[in-house]
Amino acid sequence: MNWRKICAAFCFVWAACTAQAQDLPRDAGLPLTVQAAVALAALNDFDENAGSFEATIDLRLRWRDLRLMRTDGNMSAPPNTFRDAAAQERMAQIWTPHVVLANQLGDATEGGLGLRIFSDGTVEVLRRLRANFSVNVDVDRFPFDRQKLTIEVVVNDRSTNEVILRTSQSDLDFSKVARGVSLSEWRPGVVDLISVPLAGWYNSSNARIVASVDLTREPGLPVASIFIPLIACLLIPLLALWLNRMEEGVFQIDTFELVNIAIGGFFAVIALNFTVLSNYPALANGDNAVMRLLALNYATLAGALVINILFKRFGVIAKLFGLYVQEQTYNLMLWMLPVCLAALVTAILWVAYV
Amino acid sequence: MKFRSYGIPAIIVAIILTIGGAAYLTSRLFSDLTNSVEQSRFAIMQQIMQTALNDAGSKALARAELVADMPEVKRLFAARDRAGLMATLKTAFEDQKARYGIAQGQFHIAPATSFLRLHAPDTFGDDLTKFRPLVVAANRDHLPMKAVAIGKSGPAIFGITPVDDESGHALGTFEFGLAFEPMLASLKNAYGLDFALFIDEKPLIEFATGVDPEKLGEQNRVGKFIRFESTNTELMSALVVAQDLAALSEPAPLVRDFNGLARGVMLLPINNASGTMIGVLAAAADFSGTRAAASQSAIWQGVITFIAILMLSGFVIVVLNGYLLRPLQLLADRFAALSKGDPVAAIADSERFPNELRPMVEVLDQLSGQQNDTGSKA
Repeated sequence: MNWRKICAAFCFVWAACTAQAQDLPRDAGLPLTVQAAVALAALNDFDENAGSFEATIDLRLRWRDLRLMRTDGNMSAPPNTFRDAAAQERMAQIWTPHVVLANQLGDATEGGLGLRIFSDGTVEVLRRLRANFSVNVDVDRFPFDRQKLTIEVVVNDRSTNEVILRTSQSDLDFSKVARGVSLSEWRPGVVDLISVPLAGWYNSSNARIVASVDLTREPGLPVASIFIPLIACLLIPLLALWLNRMEEGVFQIDTFELVNIAIGGFFAVIALNFTVLSNYPALANGDNAVMRLLALNYATLAGALVINILFKRFGVIAKLFGLYVQEQTYNLMLWMLPVCLAALVTAILWVAYV
Repeated sequence: MKFRSYGIPAIIVAIILTIGGAAYLTSRLFSDLTNSVEQSRFAIMQQIMQTALNDAGSKALARAELVADMPEVKRLFAARDRAGLMATLKTAFEDQKARYGIAQGQFHIAPATSFLRLHAPDTFGDDLTKFRPLVVAANRDHLPMKAVAIGKSGPAIFGITPVDDESGHALGTFEFGLAFEPMLASLKNAYGLDFALFIDEKPLIEFATGVDPEKLGEQNRVGKFIRFESTNTELMSALVVAQDLAALSEPAPLVRDFNGLARGVMLLPINNASGTMIGVLAAAADFSGTRAAASQSAIWQGVITFIAILMLSGFVIVVLNGYLLRPLQLLADRFAALSKGDPVAAIADSERFPNELRPMVEVLDQLSGQQNDTGSKA
């Protein structure tokens, strides 16, 4: 009977101690500071149309739990290091912050787990994982745009009254893009960390660190595949003007033939529009150089159509102002329209670039 | 002189000068506006840094005064009980250090001898006169003070206050020092700016003997300064170079490019209590938004100006050519043919010629009629 009581008491004390060890460390006061760092080990994919990217990241969290301090006083002893299953087992016995990646899409593939417990009670958890993340894509400056890939680290079970996330110089030094990381059509920049608490319920908030990596687009491919055809299409309405000729104010080519060119141009631009937006649907949701050039194409084609019909079919200008005013107006448009178009195209591309 | 060669170009030049001049003046006004926006941002960046330093000093001083007013602390300090003071304040100091960036806490005895460092209790008794003018001044003048200084554990923002016994006799001073790192991190979070702290290498190496030697490494050397803290090392090391800091004596703005984006950098010299410059605090903001807006505006303004000039010039060309020069040319061709006795064809749509040309058309019609009559009689 006594043994039973002793065993029960032992189990109770053991369970109480374990539960206590898994509680939030309060010995150094609250809120507990957890230092967070995120390094980009690999950038596997970036789908700007879906607004997502796939990356392999190293997430490092460090905090101090005085309950885990060495009791033998040997503070210069090396840290206790645990890997993978051993780390998981040890982590189950101590308190660890419940951190989630708020913009993660789907499940992550774990690539390794490390745990180090230092003599002074500092705990370091290092996780490597590969996951998809959502990202806001802004293509206003396409094809000279930059995107910011973000990873949001959030403590979701404790408010900022209990746990806060901070970054120190060591975290900033850790948070880098690994050498050799590359992505087709994109050039990665530097990693930045910023603490932006996430508003919670009842006037509380959760600690959040936003790690971001700058990506700069290499404009070569989009320029070749999109902008050259778009600019080439602008020649179609000009052809509908240039192919006519005039003798003493009288047009020599039938309107029908020239209007056919403009109508053909409309179909060409519609096809190009469809092709471009199929490959880059993100471009459809905003004001960017591609949409502006498409608009310019449609407007110029419409202009060529209107000019052909008004000038040649109905001779509106000749009827209103005389044959020679029409002749001069038409001659003027032959060079002024291309010059204006060239200026507008240059401006559209330049504005995207600056 | 040919009117087509001189008259029309003269009108076009006048159009170019008028519209171009107006566009240039407007662009200057807009450019001035952009500059003033950037200048005000620089001023705000300077204010943010100065206010943060001042506030940090006040926070350190408030905490120091709280400790200095504790009867137990007064009693133990009067008794020069180092162990007692450490036992009383150890936990409170560690909490403050862990959560509020209070990196240093120290009692001094006049004129400036370290009595107890809460952050390094094993180091005491050294004379601080040479590198801590704030401690000397506070002990000498018996006044609470705040300033940036380089302590044994590194640079910090100090608040120092005299400690008196119950009868008002001076026992010494007590100070708290706030570390720069948490202050810069919270400023970055609040304002979205990046910061770096540069400290003069010579006093840093001489006095801050407790600093991690890795911080003093070659990778952090910027001329005669050490980049001691930074919220984004890669960015700040590209933005602030040795020449920027070399001759700095007052707040100075500069604009640099990083990865193709314009960044505004404000450099604020940091002086210690005796007015000697011991470092520079730098703040960097992304100016690419204002720069891009200014450039885009300038581009569109240029294009609109260009198209406006083209359209006005085109209008002038159409009016002068269509109503005047082209009819005159047709009339001249026919008069020339008439003078040579060649047959003259009627001018199409001549009834739409301006009234001023109508008499010439009528004369041409008469002469060509006479020529036709003569031809038919012959």
